[in-house]
Amino acid sequence: MNKKWKRDDLIVRSLADNYLPIALVLGFYVILHGNISPGGGFQGGVLAASGVLLLYLGYGFRGIATAINMERMHRLEAVGAIAYVLFAMLGIFAGYNFCRNILWYSGNIGDLWSSGTIALMNYAVGFKVLTGVGFLLLLVIYLLGMGEDEEHDGTIPTMEHEEGGLSK
Amino acid sequence: MTYDVYMHFPVLAIMALFVGAFLVTLSGKREVLRNIIAGAAVLIALTLLALLIKPVMVDGEIITYWMGNWEPVNGYAIGIALEVDALSLFFGLLVAIAVACSCFYSFQYIRQDDARGGYFTLYLMLAGGVMGIVLSGDLFNIYVMLEVMTFAAVGLTAFRTWNPNAREAAFKYLVVGSIGSSCVLLGTALVYAQCHTLNLAQISALIPGRMNPTMVLAFALLFTGFGCKSFMFPFHPIAADAHGAAPSSVSVLISGVFTKTGVYGIIRVSYFLFRSMGLTSMQTGLVFIGCVSMFVCVTMALNQHDFKRLLAFHSISQIGYILTSLGLCTALGIAGGLYHAINHTLFKGLLFLTAGAVLYATGTTYLEKLGGLARKMPQTAALFLIGAFSISGIPPFNGFYSKWMIYQATFEKASETGSIGYALVTVVCVVTSVLTLASFIKVGQSVFFGQMPLEYENVKETPLSMRIPMWIMAALCVFTGVAPNIMINYVIGPATGAVLNFPGYIDAAMGEGYAAATITDTGYLAEPRLLTIGAWNPVNWLLLFVVVLAAVFLVSILGKRDRGEVNCAPDSKHAVFFGGEESQYSHVASGDLFWGFKHNLRGYLGFMSKAHSGVTNDYVLWGVTALAVIILYCFAFM
Amino acid sequence: MMLANYIGAVALVVIGFYAMVMKRDIIKIVVGMGLVDYGLNLMIVSVGFNEGGTAPIYTFGELTSGMYFVDPIPQALTLTSIVIGACVTAMALALCVRLYKEYGTLDAHEIRRLHG
Repeated sequence: MNKKWKRDDLIVRSLADNYLPIALVLGFYVILHGNISPGGGFQGGVLAASGVLLLYLGYGFRGIATAINMERMHRLEAVGAIAYVLFAMLGIFAGYNFCRNILWYSGNIGDLWSSGTIALMNYAVGFKVLTGVGFLLLLVIYLLGMGEDEEHDGTIPTMEHEEGGLSK
Repeated sequence: MTYDVYMHFPVLAIMALFVGAFLVTLSGKREVLRNIIAGAAVLIALTLLALLIKPVMVDGEIITYWMGNWEPVNGYAIGIALEVDALSLFFGLLVAIAVACSCFYSFQYIRQDDARGGYFTLYLMLAGGVMGIVLSGDLFNIYVMLEVMTFAAVGLTAFRTWNPNAREAAFKYLVVGSIGSSCVLLGTALVYAQCHTLNLAQISALIPGRMNPTMVLAFALLFTGFGCKSFMFPFHPIAADAHGAAPSSVSVLISGVFTKTGVYGIIRVSYFLFRSMGLTSMQTGLVFIGCVSMFVCVTMALNQHDFKRLLAFHSISQIGYILTSLGLCTALGIAGGLYHAINHTLFKGLLFLTAGAVLYATGTTYLEKLGGLARKMPQTAALFLIGAFSISGIPPFNGFYSKWMIYQATFEKASETGSIGYALVTVVCVVTSVLTLASFIKVGQSVFFGQMPLEYENVKETPLSMRIPMWIMAALCVFTGVAPNIMINYVIGPATGAVLNFPGYIDAAMGEGYAAATITDTGYLAEPRLLTIGAWNPVNWLLLFVVVLAAVFLVSILGKRDRGEVNCAPDSKHAVFFGGEESQYSHVASGDLFWGFKHNLRGYLGFMSKAHSGVTNDYVLWGVTALAVIILYCFAFM
Repeated sequence: MMLANYIGAVALVVIGFYAMVMKRDIIKIVVGMGLVDYGLNLMIVSVGFNEGGTAPIYTFGELTSGMYFVDPIPQALTLTSIVIGACVTAMALALCVRLYKEYGTLDAHEIRRLHG
């Protein structure tokens, strides 16, 4: 394994540039339409997190780590999980049981906004899966490219933002 | 407090642990904040469950909680239920106490590790997953929480980066544990295919009318799956690896809490869902597995050189006691098994915490290198002695009471059925108890008494924040041993009644009268009356012990004048070989005690030592073979 | 009857257990674990099949009382099981990476420091 990945391939980089919006939009479409089509939080989250993988194929690990802050992704995952529990607790605050749907007048069956609290919990799950799987992918890529003599000391790697951004 | 208020408490207890895990992730590097959040989460869970003792255990209510208010429609359960009866609350309290003590212990203990950020997240998720299993009333919910618990346990086993064996232990644990999870999932799928519902209460009402070979296969798979999680006989080598490699506060959870979920699953599957414990073949099978677990693990423990691996093997042999006692299907047997479960969590937790204290102070758990630590760490030595006497069944500690109930239960079963097999089971139980005592004498001599090597001159007593949880657990050990009547009346009695009261469980979930209308046979499994245990009052035993000790001391003082003087070389161990030179260190350590006993059994011990080869494929082969044998046994006899 | 599905699921589980028992490379053991999971997922989905039923997705105007669709509960169980299978594979592969860095080999017969 090389320590420095040389990523100067023009074809792979331009394909990653062009397919990244398609991956993100497809992922968010599947998350949004979770109640009326096969899909939902987990599937859409994984599709959107594949955008991270596309970026890695195009730009290498140094490109990713300067663009995405790994520590913040780790925190946002916990925010997504707490949001899920909070939406489920709305039922207890309203006097019913856990996970109760309390937005009753949400529209007819088959519309986009028709499932009440389930839609909110779906977005929370999609957000959590997106950040969680993205962080997991980045961490494994970092571990694989680390080299033989460095030991992992348990901290999450962060890198300073470089000048010039991604389109070098 | 009305029913409407405390019916939310089980869900809030589970969610407090999970939310605590997520908040700890947000706190990052700020250690004080992280400790406060973790401590608050476990204390909230413990308080909420303790408040439920009065309604559920004393008054005998069963709390049924449907998530999202999806009540059963037309006699058909369509929602996910949480159902808390006395048995669930018993296991929930056990879990909450162990988690709370170990959490306060680990605030100081993990200062020696790096990568501390992820520890409390995984710890609280393990606790939340276990709480979810014991309080749940839905079969697939149990499977999901089982997987959450397994991941957290594997992650915590691989936690230490300075221990080179940790990742290997975690890998083996993951591979063999996934066999158990797959068996539970397949059993759940087959049960759903027959009953078209996943609610435990409705399944236990519907199954007896629909027994066919698919259901027999489902029962064998569910039993093996939960047995794998409780580390019964062929799945035990991974337990030894995992306990040895994990941090000690996590070993408390794996041995005290994780295995009890396997026992809880076996009780629910055998006593509630399939009601197969009344069959003689099933009782024989479970008692046989329990006896083999007991005996094999206690003999394997004689060979060990590592403190925590030895404790792990003893842990599995005590689980063998619990499985034997539950397999008898009498009220006394069930009560003995449940009492031994809570005793095992308390004294095994105490022993693992003392092992952790030794590791924290000296940096090693290898028995050959340690010695004579009682002079520098007297309180830790006293706590270890309390734990060792409890596990060997010496009065007045708690192990004596529950082991006496188990002996009495097996003996009465032998006299009831007239078969010699159960008398042999009693003999095996007593022999295992003696070997356990021998093993702990060996460990005590190796680690705490005797002579101290020079490199440990500077060890200090364990810090105060680690000692307080250990004293709390020791106090609970002594309390449950000295006042067993309180335990029987308030805790064990209602739990045993709940195991035998399946119509009440079904009625609480599905509405009144459902059980009577749907169940075709209403024969009970065992007489639901609790026999008196006998006239062995533990306080009398303590007085007898003190009197005998005083008499022995008096006799030895009186006889000192007449003892002859013998001139021997200053070091009797090595003087013969070194021409009378004085050696500095002559500690009789673990390999030297019981040398003759081990030499006579060297064929058996050598075979067992080679069989536990350490290769992943071998352990998987044992697991798959056990699955095949149990499936064939169930098809042949049911 | 979905006989072909059930036979296929059992065959996948058996091949998965064979790989876990007989193969020496730890990556192949992880592949075996994955095969067992996928076989069980196929079994769960096939349990809920009704002959001639449609997909359980409908809008407001189409809901009548004579509709016949397949059981949606096993589909939810399978989704959860797929997520769990993905997590197991991720954790096992991460452990394989660290084991290779520690022991220098991927052979299960060499990775046996804990024995006896």
